Amino acid sequence: MMEYEADFWLLVLAGLLQQLVGLAFLGAVFAQVQALHGWTFTEAVLLYGFASFVFGMSPLFFDGLWRTAWLVNQGDLDYALVRPYPVMLQVSGSYVGLQGAGDVVVATCMIGWALSRADISWSPLTVLVGAVLLVSAVTIRVSVLAASCAISFWLQAPHSGFAFAINQLGTLGRYPLTIFGVALRGVLTVVIPFAFTAYFPVSWLLDPGRYWWAAIVTPLVAAYSLILGVRIYHRGVRRYESAGH
Amino acid sequence: MSSYVAYFGLFRTSARTVLAYRMSFWLGVLGGILPMVSLFAIWGALLSGERSLGGLDWAQMRAYLLVTFGTGSLLAAYGDFRMANRILDGRVALDLVKPVDYQRSRFAEALGGVGMELLSVGLVTCGVVIITGPVLVPHGVQALLFLAAMASVIPLKFGIMYLTCTLCFYTQNYVGLFWARETISALLSGALVPIALLPGWLQAVSGVLPFASVVSTPALIYVGAVSGFHAVQLILVQVLWTVALWFAARLAWRFAIRRLTVHGG
Repeated sequence: MMEYEADFWLLVLAGLLQQLVGLAFLGAVFAQVQALHGWTFTEAVLLYGFASFVFGMSPLFFDGLWRTAWLVNQGDLDYALVRPYPVMLQVSGSYVGLQGAGDVVVATCMIGWALSRADISWSPLTVLVGAVLLVSAVTIRVSVLAASCAISFWLQAPHSGFAFAINQLGTLGRYPLTIFGVALRGVLTVVIPFAFTAYFPVSWLLDPGRYWWAAIVTPLVAAYSLILGVRIYHRGVRRYESAGH
Repeated sequence: MSSYVAYFGLFRTSARTVLAYRMSFWLGVLGGILPMVSLFAIWGALLSGERSLGGLDWAQMRAYLLVTFGTGSLLAAYGDFRMANRILDGRVALDLVKPVDYQRSRFAEALGGVGMELLSVGLVTCGVVIITGPVLVPHGVQALLFLAAMASVIPLKFGIMYLTCTLCFYTQNYVGLFWARETISALLSGALVPIALLPGWLQAVSGVLPFASVVSTPALIYVGAVSGFHAVQLILVQVLWTVALWFAARLAWRFAIRRLTVHGG
């Protein structure tokens, strides 16, 4: 990983840049209006930062999942199969996406800045539930990634096009859910629960009275996603033929 | 004369590659549509009512975003990762012994995907029209100016991509370069926010770089925010950048190639 130092910094820098550009975008939008569907600049930064943090964790710890398509296409999964350790974890840990480091650093700054300005009534319970929600959000994100990468076991194309498309859908979760049409809101809440990777947890943080249910539903969605994600990946591995294409 | 046959061969192979991996291609298109959906939603919310921002109302903004999607789709199927990987693992040495010009060969390959890319843009435009209603269409001189502006988009994008790949002689990895380029160009080209809405210093940076010529120029001309003499001026800037990037790429290649080491293994 540290073999090529310049590349390390290049990837971190790319991650940093990506988040800063996102921030510049929000800045340009909120230079024009006070609030977007009830979300102030501070709150929108919190939402964006939370989503970016959650998205940045997956390249840092699970980036190898993206290699599933290539491993299946080349018939290279054999190594992982003979080792006595879950295949999914071997694949997911086989690569570290350092752009995630840049993502997480900027996202943490955004969250910190926004929390210091946002109107949140803090209590030990807020911190505890907030931590549970964050872990749940990361779990959902990684589970969806695992499931969408596992589709390669069926498609057998060398590239993770499907996972990429699903990943792009996830970027919609960085904005207030209500700006999207009903159909899209439904998809993001029920079909592929990206709304629970940022929108609902942050809504709870900002207004726990109105979004009390989010604190309960988010961990449940996380557990469900995790079980489903692992199952789909496992099903895929059982379908693996080792022949390559 | 025979060399043109060779370039045509590369063009045809690359066009067939796109057809062979249809599924990847269409999933890539889907992946390109989704960010546009969030931009549509955000600008739609911002421009509801009779508001206009940066000189654009909602009808213009929709057209602007569609042109942005179109310019973003062009050369999306181009194998810049393939070129980068061949440089990174040393197989580029085999390309160098072939009796064709390296840069022209890659350009011919890039053009191979354009047919399918235009088809995808056409289909997505139809989808947007069906879902959200008719889209603004430029007429007469403005339409001609738009076509003139679009003509430079492909060679410009190619120049930027090719130069990024050339940097692979100095790094061991392309992903970081790719993301850095995509991110910088998203902001400075006007793809994310019309350049007029950026802070002054970013506008200044954008003004001295080629990215705005790829997206902002054709999009602003399409929606009629820029016309007449000013449009011609911007098109001339595009042409200058196209020529400059082509020769800059040639020069950069000549320097970079000296660093080529082939280890294999």
